[in-house]
Parts: sequence; C-alpha cells; structure tokens
Amino acid sequence: MIENALTALEALFDPVRLAALFTGMIVGMVFGMLPGLGGVAAVSILLPFIYYLDPYSGLAMLLGAVSVVYTSDTITSVLLGAPGSPASAPTAIEGHALAKQGQASRALGVGFLASMVGGLTGAAILFVAIPVAGPIVLMLSTPELLMFALVGLYYAASMIGKDLAKGLAAACLGVLLGVVGPAQAAADFRYTFGQVYLLDGFSLTIVALGLFGVAEVISMLAAGGGISHERVKVDHWGEGFRDFWKAKWLVLRAAIIGVFGGFVPAVGASASTWVAYGHAIHSTKDKSRFGKGEIRGIAASEGANNATVISDLVPTLLFSVPGGPAAAIFLGALFSFGYYPGPRMITQHPDLMFLIVWSVALTSVVGAGLCFAITPALARLTRIPFAIIAAPLVLIMVIGAYQSTSTMGDIFMLFLLGGLGWLMKHGGWPRAPALVGFVLSGPMEQYFWLTNQIYGWSWLTRPGVLVIGSVIVIPMLISCVRWLKARGRKAGPAPAHDLPTLNAPSHGIALVLAAIVAVMFAYALWETFSFNPASRLMPALAILPGLPLALYLLVRGARDFRNDFSRDANELWVLAALFVYAMAVWAIGLSIPTVVLIAWMLLVKARMRIWTSLIYGVAVFAVIRLLFDLLRGDAPVGALIPFS
Amino acid sequence: MHYRRLTAVAALVLGSTLAAGAQEGLFAGKTIEVVVPFGEGGATFVSAKFLEPYLEKHLPGNPDLDVVSRPGGGSILGANWFEQNAKADGTTILFTTSSTANPFVLGQKGVEYKLADYRVAYSHPFSAVAYVSPDTGVTSAAGIRDSSKPLIYGGIAAAASDLPGLLSFEVLDVDVKSVLGFNGRGPVRLAFEQGELNIDYQFTPVYLTQVVPSVAEGHAVPLWTGGAMKDGVLKGRDPIAPELPSVYEVYEQLNGKPPSGIEWDAFQGIASVTYAYGLTGYMHPDTPQEVLDAFAEAVAAINADPEFQAESQKVTNGARLNAGPDTETAVKAALSPSAEVKDYLRNLLSSKFGVTF
Repeated sequence: MIENALTALEALFDPVRLAALFTGMIVGMVFGMLPGLGGVAAVSILLPFIYYLDPYSGLAMLLGAVSVVYTSDTITSVLLGAPGSPASAPTAIEGHALAKQGQASRALGVGFLASMVGGLTGAAILFVAIPVAGPIVLMLSTPELLMFALVGLYYAASMIGKDLAKGLAAACLGVLLGVVGPAQAAADFRYTFGQVYLLDGFSLTIVALGLFGVAEVISMLAAGGGISHERVKVDHWGEGFRDFWKAKWLVLRAAIIGVFGGFVPAVGASASTWVAYGHAIHSTKDKSRFGKGEIRGIAASEGANNATVISDLVPTLLFSVPGGPAAAIFLGALFSFGYYPGPRMITQHPDLMFLIVWSVALTSVVGAGLCFAITPALARLTRIPFAIIAAPLVLIMVIGAYQSTSTMGDIFMLFLLGGLGWLMKHGGWPRAPALVGFVLSGPMEQYFWLTNQIYGWSWLTRPGVLVIGSVIVIPMLISCVRWLKARGRKAGPAPAHDLPTLNAPSHGIALVLAAIVAVMFAYALWETFSFNPASRLMPALAILPGLPLALYLLVRGARDFRNDFSRDANELWVLAALFVYAMAVWAIGLSIPTVVLIAWMLLVKARMRIWTSLIYGVAVFAVIRLLFDLLRGDAPVGALIPFS
Repeated sequence: MHYRRLTAVAALVLGSTLAAGAQEGLFAGKTIEVVVPFGEGGATFVSAKFLEPYLEKHLPGNPDLDVVSRPGGGSILGANWFEQNAKADGTTILFTTSSTANPFVLGQKGVEYKLADYRVAYSHPFSAVAYVSPDTGVTSAAGIRDSSKPLIYGGIAAAASDLPGLLSFEVLDVDVKSVLGFNGRGPVRLAFEQGELNIDYQFTPVYLTQVVPSVAEGHAVPLWTGGAMKDGVLKGRDPIAPELPSVYEVYEQLNGKPPSGIEWDAFQGIASVTYAYGLTGYMHPDTPQEVLDAFAEAVAAINADPEFQAESQKVTNGARLNAGPDTETAVKAALSPSAEVKDYLRNLLSSKFGVTF
C-alpha cells in the first residue's frame, strides 16, 4: 500500500502532470471566486482539454479544480458579502460582517486554514477508503440518511434568530421553494404553473445567488460612487492563525461532518456546510456574535465544504455513484479514460487511487497558500467604488445562473429570487433558515418516503438511526436538565440566539413581504389539494405553520406600519432596473441590454468618466461574451428580435 | 448570431445540394453538434463522448464533433431546444434515450418536440439486465414467482426510464413492490447492495462493471435481459449477455406459450426504444437522405473498426451500432404505438403510479 502511494507520488511529480494539476487549480480558484460559478463550471470548462492529456494528467487537472473551489470562494464571500458558491453562504454572513469591522484578514486567514484542513481530512478519508470509508457508506442506508437530514434541521433551528415568527416563516418559505418540481413520492409536479422550466425545481445555485448575491449587489450599486464601509485591510495574518488554532477542534469536527455529507450520494456541500455552521452555533457558549461576525462560524463552514467535495469522491470511486455534481463529471471523465470505478477499483488501479489522494492533498495545501498570497492584492479592489465592481459581478451572476439550463428561465428566476432576497434582507427576515429549508426539504422528503416504503416504521429501531438520533436527543435532554436546575435557582440570562440584520428592518417592506408570502402560501395550499396524498406531506409541513405565521406577520406589519419606503427607494430603483434588464434580454437578446446596463451602472451609478467607463465597459462586455462562449452556452436570443 | 446561423444554414443547404461531388467529403471542415439532454457526467453523455472519435474518423470529410450537454426537465428542455434550433443538414444531432421518448409517446405536458418525425442517424443498444438478491431464494429466471421474500424494486419515476422494467413485471405477472423516488440508478444499486431492495435492473455497461463482480461473489443472481430484436419481435437473446434469457423466453418458460396481448405489445414498444435502440442519434425531419446514407456507411465502418471492437468489448461486451432504413423504421414504429397501447400505458401509469397527464 505504502509502495503504491509512493509510486503514485512519483507519477504525480512528472512535470506535465504537475503543470496540469496546477492549471486546474488556478481555473478552480478563479471559478471559486466568481459567484454562481463553482466546481461544476470549472470542471466542465476543463473537460474538453483533458482529452489531449494522458489519463493521469487529465484527471489531476480536474482534481486540481475541484479541490480549491471551496477555498477561494472564501475571498468573494468575505470581501463582497456575495457567496462565491452556494456552500459558502454562512461564510458570507459571518465573514463579510467581520470585513465591515475591519477584520477581513482574520476572517480570510481562518477561512483558508479551515479549508485546507477540510481538504486534507477529505484526502485522509480517501486514503483509508477501502477499509474504513467503504463500509461506512454501505452502513448509511436510507433511514440513516433521513436521520442526518433531521439532525441538519435540528441544527438549522439555531439559525432562526431573535424574531421567532420571521425566522420560522423564512424556514417554511425555504421548504416551500424546495418542493417545487417533481415530487419524490408520487408522479406529481408541484407548483410548476405548466412551465417546463420548473419541472426540475429550482437550482440551488440560483436560489443561493438570488437570496444572498443579488441583494448584496443591489446595495453595492445603490451605494454608487462611494465606498460604503471602511477600507478592508489585509496585512497581518497572525490573529487569523491564533483564531484558527483556538477553533482547531471545531474545524476538525466540521470536517468530519463534511466527510459524511460527501458519503451521501447527490447531497452537495451546501447541506453539510449548514449543518456544520449549525453545529458551531450550538457548541459556542456566547452565541451573541453569530450573524454579526463570528469567526467560529467561518471556521466550521469552510472546514466542512472542502471536506465534502473531496469525500464526494468516495462513493464515486468505490461504488461508481457520484457523491455530488462535480464528482459526477469526474466520474464521466474516468469512464472516458477507460477506468470503471467500483469495488475492484482499488485492487485493479491502486496507483490511480493514490494519485487522486495526492492530487487533492497537494492542491489543498498549495491552494490555501496561493489564496494567502493573492488576497492582499484582491483586497485592494475593495477600495474601488463598489458600483464599479458590481457591474461585472451582476453579469457574472447571470452567467452563473445561466449554467443550470441555459434558458431565459434561469435569468428570470435569478432576479425574481433576487427580489425576494432583497425584500427579506430589508424586511428583517433571516435568509439563512430559508436556504437551509430549501437545501434540506428535498432529501428529507425523499428519504422519509423511501424509508417508509421500504421499512414501514421498523426503521426507528435500527442501530444507526439510534446513534444518529442521539445527536439530537442527548443535547436536548442536557439542556432540559439544565433548564430545570436553573429554574430552581435564580435564572441567569437566557442564551441570546439572535441573528439580527445589521440595519433595522423597514416596516413598509416587512409588510409587503408578509403579504406576498401569505399569498404564496395560500395559493400553495390550494394547489396541494390536486396532488396525490403522498406528495402533500412536505408542502403541508411548510404551509401549515407557514400560512398562519405569514398572516400573523401581516397583521403585525399592518399594526406597526410606517411609510418608510423612501429610505430604500434608491435600492428599489436598482432592483427595478435589473427586472427591466431581464425582460429586455428576453425580448431582444443579450447584447444590447447588457451594453445599456453596463453603461447605466458605470455612468449613472458609479459616475465614472466617459473615457474610462468606455474602456472598462468594453472590457467587461468582452469578458462576459467570452465566458458565455467558453461555457458553451449560447447567449440568450431575443424572442421579439432574434438577436443575441 | 442568429442571422449568422440562418445564412450558414442556407449556405449549407445550397452547398450540399449543388456541390456534393466537388467536396472532399460531405462534412469537410464542418462541426457537428451532438446535443445530449442530460448532465455532463451521465451515462448518455459518456456514451456520446465514447462514440465521438469514431464518428469523426469515419464520417466523410472528418468533421469535428462537439458534444454539448443541455440538461433540464428530465431531458424535455434539451429536446425542446433541438426542436427549435436543429439544422436540417445533419450538423445538429439529438443523442438521447427513452427518457426523451417516453414522455413523447405518452403525450406528456411540456413536450414540444416531434420525435417520431425526426430522422434516425444511428443507434446504440443499451440493454438492461434484471437481477435479484440471493436472500430471496431465487436462483434463476424461472423461479421468480417463488421468492421467499416480497420483492422490492427501486426506481426513479414510472413514466421515465423505469417504464420498461415495470412493464416487464406486468408481462411476467410478478408481484413486485415498486419504490419510486430515487435520485438515479446509481443510488438504487447502492440500496440493493445495502439490502434495502432485492430486485433491480441495470443498464449493460453498469451491469458489466458493477454487478458482475457481485454475481461472482454470490451477492447477486442475474435473471434476464430485455431481449433483442429478431424478425421484428423483441424475442432474441441480447448479444451483450447471451447467457441470459430474454423477457419473451422467460414468459414462454413460465406460461408454456409465447406472450401476446396488450401487456406484451406495450412492453415490446417501450422496451425496444429503451433497450434495442437505447441511445439514438436523431436529426431534423428535413435532413437529406444523402446525409443519412453517409451516417449509415460510417456506422458500418465503425462496426468494422478493430479499435472500436476492442474498446466496445470492454464497455458493452462488444455491442454494435445500428443505422440505415431498417433501424429507422423500427424506431419510428416504436415511437408511434397504437391508440390501444397508448391508452393502456396511460391507464396503467395513472391508476398504479398516480401519474397525471
């Protein structure tokens, strides 16, 4: 075994292969930083090139890309507050809050180091895949997976925040978004409004970009030519290293959570990241800083997401069942090179197996190092007026969204959900529970249905289920006992579970949002009656608490109503402009509206000078067109004027 | 972009009729776009990539093939895109499976593509093998009704690629509980290995690489294959796993007479699109015959190419491509079932599986 490991290391140190690995790594880093584009986009852009290389180099190139995406996405999340990838949304919440307090280097340092540990943990798990990881994957049957989803839900409860009604309503809204599309249990398509686009449900990328990214960009554009917060300085890393060392056990636990997330087929890094983040909240005594910049939140989520993408390779290599979307493409590449992963993979191709381990381990370390090296330069970008950065950012998000199906639906959905995210941000609804609800509703429904079909209720006594269930039950019992004890004495201050938004919520927007959401729930309830009974369970779980909560918020909002729309009027115009842009792209194709949007953003919003904005605008437009071509999506062609 | 395309199409159509003889080859200097309506790691995409170099080598003029993935809507979005954008000169191909064909045959909502009007350029068999867990006590196809445990089958959705498997259980009158709602056939196989399910179908390439090792270790018992076309009936043995009987043969064994009736007609129609012509390259309805003949010749050359034979031996146990008028007739027949069969399928799906149309 050791011998194979060394042979593989030697094979990897061939100059061509190393070059391939690091080329892949750089592509992965760039795509990790671009919001909405991540591992899948990086791997698909590299895919055509790997066939010119020998199998080892080609696979190393893909692995290089896969292993750093969740390291470099930290940069975007922290500096801009728009998640670099869906799985770094918690980092965007905590890291950006820290950056605004001038502590960006702390947040980034911890993020990079935690990512590296996550990657190395994943590599170690791959190393022991046959004796350890394989049997664990086989032990995780549907009931165990259902229990994992429930643990995730339990942890998610800690993200609800101080305003219980808004937090719960947001979670229900997320679950409702998650049930759009095909039902798991019976052949129903839910809430598709006859649109083929919705037959597959919402794409995670678009939901994450819409809820978090678009709202952030709108603020940036509305801030216009000014710099809305103090300069982000990234110079001394010392504090970050100390923070990381303090949180080392948390990072390791998060990495293990991430590894389990990777074992589960088709559950991506997002789910395990949120679970790890929830775990961080749970295991931190002073919860008051969560949502306002808590370094432990970053440590946990970055440790988890990197571990997940790498341990996604375990089911891929041992059972030929891809653990996640990027792993699916990797599997395809393995097939093309004539490798057929499966139980025999390790005995037939031990060198390849170790080559994979070394590749991900090496890129995890080098990638984190490179992130440290380039960040000071990137941080200087934040001194540029925000609207100037926002211009390309909006368009990159459009491209990222457009990767899901390459139809106009992607772009409409991005801005519709962006509008929702913006309303939530300003109405004081926490967005984290909504995204968690969205991420978990699919697996929960699927595993509940499959478990119930296969086992009836006997699954509750399975040992694995009991072990995982104890993760929920034991802490609950402990806190019950504590609470009872504390009641005997004088009660201390209750732990503050607050995740407030930084600005006080707008009363007007809160009312509008409550009204919209109440209508959505009411409609959803009505449509539920047309489903097969088995397809009603999950929507009901969202609607039954969601509708009363929304109505309560509506009444409360009406009572507290004050006309304070003018405060956010500036941002509202930007949102409206983005909607107009989407309509225009639909009508007359990509090019003309994009040019107009760029001109509007640069001249009106950023107040750049004509000549500089002309040069910059042309460059941005050229890059956007190039990206459309590189990613092999035809740019949208107008419906009224057939021009793209 | 669109204008450029239109003029290109016009030029190509003119060019191919006027100057066919003058060119080095029909496709010299051209790029053929192969649209796969599934994700990039999927079996269909991989198969398209597998065939890419051989088509490039053997088509006249050695065109470039560009395999493009357009997933969404369970393949409906990609096929709808093809309906709207395909060129009529053979440079756009829709390469897909029964997941696209079944919604068309059943007339599901959202289907805009007219699959039965398309020309069939080439087709690759994609057979499937049924197998059970030894825990059931079943040792061969003939014993399938004597399972000691209730049979549980896992699938994705009744109206998609699971349909022929489910119909085969109807034909053979085997009592199987179908648990639908899995993410893919990979997770289904994992659930089989975990002992949650005890009867499964896997497509041949997966069967050969993943299930055969389990058979050797005694963890799985192979039963039958979907069968192969023989004299217009799906009764032949599948060349990919010739040691196993076809569903047709199993029926004969169990009932002492050849299968007939609406269940069989429905199974044969759906199964031939799924298995015998599992992966099919479709072209625009107005594609000139000359282009289709060129593909038929290229397919014959690919089948004779020793390199292809060696590679396909590894992946599909030596399956060969099909093309030409017979293939096209068979595919089109399977795509246009009788009203009776359609009604039977729609009734079965809505009464037994709750599919709404």
